[in-house]
Amino acid sequence: MRKVVALAGNPNVGKSVIFNALTGARQKVGNWPGVTVEKKEGICKYKDIEFYIVDLPGIYGFTANSIDEKIARDYILHEKPDVVVNIVDASNIERNLYLTMQLIEMEANVVVALNKMDLAKLKGYKIDVRKLSKELGLSVIPMIAVKNEGIEELKVAIYYATKHRVKPFLRYNDGVERIISAVQEKVIEHNILSNYPPRFVAIKLLEGDEEILKMANFNEEVIKQWIS
Amino acid sequence: MDFIDVMANARYELIGEILGKSIERVSKPKSFSDLVDVVVLDKYLGIPIFLTLMWAAFQFAFSVSAPFSDAIDIFFTSAADWAKANIPNEVLASLIGDGVFGGLGFVLVFLPPIAFVFIALAILEDTGYLPRAAFVMDRAMTKVGLHGKSFIPMLLGFGCNVPAIMACRTMENEVDRKITIMVNPLMSCSARLPVYLLFAGAFFAGYEGTVIISMYLLGIILAAIMAKVIRKFFFGGEPSPLLMEMPDYSMPTVKSVLTSAWIRTQIFLKKAATILFIGAVIVWFLSVFPWDATNGGEVLENSYAALIGRAVEPIIAPLGFDWKAGVALFTGFMAKELVVGTLGILYGVESEEAIIDAIAHDFNPITALALMTITLIYLPCLATFGVLKRELGEWKLVGLIIAYELLLAYIVAAIIVGIGCFIEVM
Amino acid sequence: MMKLSELKQGERGTVVDIKGSSEMKRKLLNMGIVKGAEIKMVRNAPLKDPIEFEIRGYHISLRKNEAENIIVEVRK
Repeated sequence: MRKVVALAGNPNVGKSVIFNALTGARQKVGNWPGVTVEKKEGICKYKDIEFYIVDLPGIYGFTANSIDEKIARDYILHEKPDVVVNIVDASNIERNLYLTMQLIEMEANVVVALNKMDLAKLKGYKIDVRKLSKELGLSVIPMIAVKNEGIEELKVAIYYATKHRVKPFLRYNDGVERIISAVQEKVIEHNILSNYPPRFVAIKLLEGDEEILKMANFNEEVIKQWIS
Repeated sequence: MDFIDVMANARYELIGEILGKSIERVSKPKSFSDLVDVVVLDKYLGIPIFLTLMWAAFQFAFSVSAPFSDAIDIFFTSAADWAKANIPNEVLASLIGDGVFGGLGFVLVFLPPIAFVFIALAILEDTGYLPRAAFVMDRAMTKVGLHGKSFIPMLLGFGCNVPAIMACRTMENEVDRKITIMVNPLMSCSARLPVYLLFAGAFFAGYEGTVIISMYLLGIILAAIMAKVIRKFFFGGEPSPLLMEMPDYSMPTVKSVLTSAWIRTQIFLKKAATILFIGAVIVWFLSVFPWDATNGGEVLENSYAALIGRAVEPIIAPLGFDWKAGVALFTGFMAKELVVGTLGILYGVESEEAIIDAIAHDFNPITALALMTITLIYLPCLATFGVLKRELGEWKLVGLIIAYELLLAYIVAAIIVGIGCFIEVM
Repeated sequence: MMKLSELKQGERGTVVDIKGSSEMKRKLLNMGIVKGAEIKMVRNAPLKDPIEFEIRGYHISLRKNEAENIIVEVRK
C-alpha cells in the first residue's frame, strides 16, 4: 500500500538531510512542471506501507507570493498528501511554527519533525517535547538529522499518522475567532470552494488572498460587509 | 489595521502562548555563528575575507583538478594516436581517432575542474557562508541590476559558463536567477582566452595585457547594461527584495557535500557533456568530408565546414572578415576552444607563431579587436545551451539570449570597425 | 518613532507600522516582522547596505530601501 508523504518547512531546517535519510538511494530529482524549481521524490518502505516522499520547496509562508510558496500550497491543497511532515528547526522555533499554524489551518495531516535539537540546546533552550505536542495537538518527534537521530522514530510517527488522521483545532484570540466564524458561516452557507476546508477559505478571504478571492469570485468589499 | 496584520499577530500570539508553556531558557546562548560573523562581516575585513575565500575556492577547484585533467588528456590523445595508427580504413581511423576519442578527450578534460567547482560550491553552501557572501556584495550587485547572490555565479563564469549557470540554483528568487543566467555568458570564460592571446599577441605586441583585460572589462560592462535592460523590458523593471535569512553556520558533512556535487556533475554530464561530444563529432565530420576533396581533413578549404564559412561570409564581410573567420566562428559555437585550432588547420599551420604569421595577412589590429569582441559576445557555446534550457525553463528566454547576443556582437564589432576606420582616416 | 533603517548598531526597536506594497508586507509578515515584534540592528554590510537584523531569535538582512518601510519605536 502506498501513501504520499510531503516534506514541508522553512529553508535551512535540514529538509534535504531528512529527505535523504528517509529515501536513501531511492530518489529522483526533476523539476516541478513548467517551472525551474527542483522537485525531489523518493521511496521509503516501512512495514506494510510504502511512503512516497515528495520534498516541497523550503518556504516561509503559504501566501502564494512566490513560485515556491505557490508550488507547496497547491500541492498540499490539491494533491492532498496523506501525511505532511513539517520540519521545524528547534533552534529557531518561533518563526518556524508560523508555517505550522498555517498547515493546521489547511487541515493537513501534520507530523512535526523537530530537528536541530542539539543547536537548540546550544542556544540555551530546553524544550518539553511532550508539552509542545499536547499544545499543538500533533505528534512531535525530536531529531538531530545530521547524526541520524530520530529518523526511525519519525518513520513510526509517519506510519501512525497514515492510519490515524489528526485534526487539531487551534483557537486564536476571541476577537479574531469571532470574525473568522462569521465568514466561515457564509462560506459554508454559500458553498464557497467546497473542496477546501471552510476555515482555511474564511481566513484566506479575510487576508485578501488574491488566488482564493479570484477562485471564489468575490472581492474584498463583500467580505468586509459580512464582518460588519 | 488590515486583517492580514491581525491574522499574523494572532498566529504569533498563539505561538508565544504555546512556547511559553513548553520552552524555557536554561542557559545563556553560546552563539558560535555570531562570533564568527563579527570577523567575517566586519566593516574592514569583510570584503578581503570574501575575496580570499573566492580565490581559495578557485585555486582548490582548478589546481587540485589539473593533474586529473592532464591524465585524461594524455589518455585520450594516446588512444586517438593508437586508433589512427592501427585502424586500416582511413575514414574509420579518423572517425574513431579524431572523432570519437578526440571528442571524448575534449569533453572529459572538463570533468575534473567542474566537479571540483561543484564541491567548492557545496562547501560554501553547506557551511552557511553563501548568504554572507551575498550580504557583502549585494550593494555592488544591485547597482548593476543583479542580486547579492549573483556574485559567485558571475565569478564562476570567468572559468566556465556551464557550472556558473548551474550555480544560479543557489538563488531563490526566480527573476534574479533568470537575469543572472541570461547575462552570465558575457562573463568571458577561460575557453575564449586562447583567442585573445592569439590576436592580442599578433597585433598588440607589448600591450597584450591591456587588450586582454579590456575584453574582460567589456564583458562585465555589457553584462551590467544587459542585466538592467532585460530586467526593465522583460521582468517588469522592479528589483526583487532581498529579505534574506542568515542561518547559523554549520559543519558540512563529507556525505552531503559529495552528494550535492555529484548530482550537479551528473547534470553536467547528461546535458552539457553529451552535447559537447556530439558537437565535437559534428565538427570533425564537417572538417573531413568530402573525404577525397579534403584529403582526410588536411585541405580544410574543400570541406563542408568551409562551405558554411562561405555561406556566412556575406554577413561578416562588412566587418572585414572572410570565410575562414566564418568557419572559425562556427566551430567556436560548438566550443570556444576550437577557434584557434580551426584557424591553425585553415592556414595549414600548427605552432602558435606560425598561426600568428598567417593571420597577420588576413587581419589587422582593428579587425582583430572586432573578432575578439565577437568571440566574447556572439553566442554561448553548445555546452552552455545544454544547461540553458534546463535552468531557464522557457525556450523563449533562450531565444532571447541568442537574439541579443548575436545583435550585440555585430553592433559592438561594427562600432569598433567604424571607430578604427575613422581613426585611420584621421 | 523612526524608520528601521535608522536604528543604530545594537539598538532595539518594536515594530509599530509596515508601509509599502501589500506583496512586500506579506513577505515581511511571513518572516515574523509584524506589529509588536522586537527587532535589533546588528550591523551594516561593509558597503553600508544591506543591514543585518535580529528578530525572534534569528538573523535577517534587509536592504536600506526595504527597512525604510518599517516604522519602529525605540526601546530605551
